[in-house]
Amino acid sequence: MNSTGTAVLASAQPPRKLWLDHVQEWLTTVDHKRIGLMYIGYALIFLVVAGVEALLMRIQLSAPDNHFLSPEVFNCMFTMHGTTMVFFVGMPILFGFGNYLVPLMIGARDMAFPRLNAFSFWISAFGGLLLYFSFLGGSGLYGAGSAPDVGWFAYAPLTAKLFSPGHSTDYWTLSILLSGIGSVGTALNLIVTIFTMRCKGMTMTRLPLLCWLYVVTSWLTFLALGPLTAAQIMLCLDRFAGSHFFDVQAGGSAVLWMHFFWIFGHPEVYILVLPAFAFANEIIPVFSRKPIFGYPAMVAASVLIGFISLGVWAHHMFTVGLGPEGNAFFTLATMIVSVPTGIKIFNWLATIWGGKIRFATPMLFSIGFLFQFLIAGLTGIMLSVAPFDWQLGNSYFVVAHFHYVLVGAILYMIFAAFYYWYPKMFGRMLSEKLGKWHFWLFTFGFHLTFDTMHIPGLLGMPRRVFTYPADRGWAMLNQIETVGGFIQAIALLLFVWNMIQSYRTGKEAGPDPWDAWTLEWATSSPPPHYNFAVDPVVHSRRPLWDRKHPESPDTHYE
Amino acid sequence: MQEHASLPRDAAKNAAAPHGETGIESIHLPSPTVWPMVLALGVTLLVAGLITNAAISLLGAVFAVAASVGWFRNVLPHERHEEVHAPVSAAERAAAVAASAGPRPAPAAAAHGQRRLTYSFLSGIEAGAAGGAAMALVATAFGMVRFHSLWYAINLMAASSFLSWSNASDAFLSGFHLQGLLAGLLIHMLISVLVGLLYAATMPIFPRLSLVAGGILGPLVWTGLAFSLTKSVAPLLGARVDWLWFIVSQIAFGLTAVWIVNLRIRFLSAEFQSLPFDQRAGLHSNEAQRSAASEVRQ
Repeated sequence: MNSTGTAVLASAQPPRKLWLDHVQEWLTTVDHKRIGLMYIGYALIFLVVAGVEALLMRIQLSAPDNHFLSPEVFNCMFTMHGTTMVFFVGMPILFGFGNYLVPLMIGARDMAFPRLNAFSFWISAFGGLLLYFSFLGGSGLYGAGSAPDVGWFAYAPLTAKLFSPGHSTDYWTLSILLSGIGSVGTALNLIVTIFTMRCKGMTMTRLPLLCWLYVVTSWLTFLALGPLTAAQIMLCLDRFAGSHFFDVQAGGSAVLWMHFFWIFGHPEVYILVLPAFAFANEIIPVFSRKPIFGYPAMVAASVLIGFISLGVWAHHMFTVGLGPEGNAFFTLATMIVSVPTGIKIFNWLATIWGGKIRFATPMLFSIGFLFQFLIAGLTGIMLSVAPFDWQLGNSYFVVAHFHYVLVGAILYMIFAAFYYWYPKMFGRMLSEKLGKWHFWLFTFGFHLTFDTMHIPGLLGMPRRVFTYPADRGWAMLNQIETVGGFIQAIALLLFVWNMIQSYRTGKEAGPDPWDAWTLEWATSSPPPHYNFAVDPVVHSRRPLWDRKHPESPDTHYE
Repeated sequence: MQEHASLPRDAAKNAAAPHGETGIESIHLPSPTVWPMVLALGVTLLVAGLITNAAISLLGAVFAVAASVGWFRNVLPHERHEEVHAPVSAAERAAAVAASAGPRPAPAAAAHGQRRLTYSFLSGIEAGAAGGAAMALVATAFGMVRFHSLWYAINLMAASSFLSWSNASDAFLSGFHLQGLLAGLLIHMLISVLVGLLYAATMPIFPRLSLVAGGILGPLVWTGLAFSLTKSVAPLLGARVDWLWFIVSQIAFGLTAVWIVNLRIRFLSAEFQSLPFDQRAGLHSNEAQRSAASEVRQ
C-alpha cells in the first residue's frame, strides 16, 4: 500500500482517546447506563469496605475477652458497617440496577431527567465520602471524636453533645442527609420515567414486573426519607442550635427519635428487598422457561407490601414498652405483611413448578434467595410477637434474622442480578465455573455464620457488645460464625476476580445470551448510547417471545 | 386479529449488522454536562463547612451558585443536545412506521407549529410595554377626571416607594415632581415587563382560556392582591386608590398584552390550538425547533 493509502486509512480511524478524555466522559455523563454503572461500582467499593469492617468485628468476637479491637473502635466499626451497608451499598446498588435497566426495559432512550439523575448519583457519592472523611476529619480538625460510633440507628441520647463530643455524629447526620437528597432525586426520576416514557404499546399491565417493583420502591423512598430527613435536621438543631427535640432532661423525647428513625427504617427494609424481588421476577421465569405465574397478583402483592410496610415500624420498639394497644396493632400489622409476601413466594414456586429449569448461576442464587428469604420471613413472624421480641429483641437472634434478610435474600438476588445482566452491561459472560464456586462457597459461609448466629441469641448473647466473658458458652459458636465470615469473604473475592477476568477474557455474550423476553435483550450488548435506534413497539408482556414465536405470541393468552 | 411485536428485527443480531438497506438515523440525546456534579460537590462542601471550616462552606456556595447558573444555561431557553447517528435498516424503519401508524400532523403543519412555538423574550417585553402603555392611559385619564392632573397617577405609583408621600396632600401629588416621575416610571415599567413575560410564557399553554384568564381573571386577581397588600402594608396609600379605575386599568393591560402576544405567537389560531400540550407549553424542544427559531430571527 502506498503512503497516501495508508494516510487515508489512518485518518478514517477515530482518534485514540486519552485517559483524561475517559475521565471527563464519566464525570460529565448523563447517560442512564453509565450513571447506573457508577452507582454499582461505587456501591461495590463500599461493599468491600463494609465487608472488611464486618470481618474486623468477627475477629474481635471470635474469642471471649478479646482485645483485638478496643470498645471505641468496635463501636465505630459496627456503626460504619451498618450505615455503609444500608445507605452506601444497598440503596446505591439497587438504584444503580434500576437506573441501568428501567429505561431499557420500557423502551426509552434515557431517564426523564438525565441531569437530575447525574446530580442524584454525585450527591450520594459525595455523601459517602463525607461519612468516611470522618475518620480523618472527626479528630483531625477539632481534636475530638473520629468515625461515628452511635450505631446505624443513632438512638438518643447517644447522639447528644454530652455523649458524642466532637463532630463524629454530625458527619453521620450530614452524610445521610446528602445521600437522602440523591435517593429522593433518583426515586422521582424512576417514577416519572416509568409513568411517562414507556414505549408504544407498553401499558401498565404490560409493564415488566421489575419496573412495577421500582415504582413501589420509589414511592416508599419518598415516604420514608421525609421523616428521616426531618429527624436529621432536628438532630442538627439539637447539636448546633441548642434545641431539645431529643433531649429528655430538657423536655424532649428519646422515643420520638426512635419513632422517626423506624418510620424510615422499616420501609427501608422494603426499599432494599423490593428490588431484590424485582430481580427474582425477571430471572426465575427466564430460567424456568415459563412466564411469571400470576402477574396481576404479583403487582397487587408488591403494592400491598409497600402499603403495609408503612404501618409496622414500631415492631422495632416492642422493648421500649408500647402498651397493649400498640403491641397488638404492630404485631398484627407485621404479621399481615407475610400475606402478600407469601403470595409472592407461592407465585415464584408456581413459576418454577413444571418448568424446564436451567441451573445457571443466576438461577442458583435465586433458589438460594427463595429458601433463605422463607427462613428470614419465619423468624420475622416469630419476632413480630411482642412477648417473644421482649426476650430476644436485643439479642443476636435479631442480628441473625436481619442478616438473613439483607444477605440471604437481598445480597443473593444482587449476585443473581450481576450474573444475569453483566453480559448486557459489558458484552461478556461471567464465568459459570467461577460463578458456581462463588455460589457454593458463599452459601456454605453464609449458613455457617448466620444459622449459627441464631443460637447465641437464643442463649442470651446481647447484640452490640464488643466482647463477652468466657463462662457464657458462646465462644465456639462465635468462632464458627467468624470462620463462616471469612469463607464468605473468599467467595466475594472470587466474584470480584470473575468480574475482572471476564471483562477481559469472558465469552462474547451477544445481545440475548439467556434467550430472554424483555426489551433490554432486544438491543446490543452493551447497548448503544441511544439504546434503541428505532422506538420499539410491544403488544404483550414478553415482546421478545412474540418476536421469536410469531406462531404463538403472548397476545393470544394475555 | 393477530398482533405481532414490532421490534427492530435485527436488533437481536446487534444493531450495526451489515444490511443492504441500512440507513442512518439521527438521534438527539441530552448533551453531557459537568454542572450536576459540580452542584453536588458544592452542596456537599456547603454542608461539610458546618463541621470543618466556614471557608469550606463559602467555597461550596460558590460552586453551587456557579453550577446552578451553568445548569440553567444548559436547559434554558432550549435543552442542549448531542446528535448521535444510529444505523437503521429499512425493515426496522418500516416496522416502526407500521406499528405507530395513526393520525399525525403533516410535516409542513408540524414545522409551522414549531415555528409559532418559538417564544421569545421579545414578545413578552413588547406585551408588557404595550400593556403598560394602555394601563398608563387609563390611569392618566383617572388623574385628569378626578384631580385635573396629568401627574397624579404616576406620583401615586411613586408614593409606594416614598413612604413620606403617603401622607402628602392631593395638591402635592397633582404637581410635577421629577423624582416621582422617574420612580413611578421605573416601577411601572419593571412590573409591566415582568407581567408581560409571564403572559408570553403562559397564554399559549391554554389558548382557549387566554382572553378570559389574561384579560379579566388575571387583572382581577392582581387587583385583589394589590388591595390586600396595600391594606396591610400601606393603608394610607391604599385609601387614595380608586379601585374601580384600578380594575379598568388592569383589564386594559391584560387585554392589550394578550393581543400583542397573539400577534407574535398566533396562539389563538385553530392550528396552534390543535398542537399537543407539551408543544404548546414549550416543553418539547429539539433541533428542528431551534432551527425554526433561527429562521424566525433571520
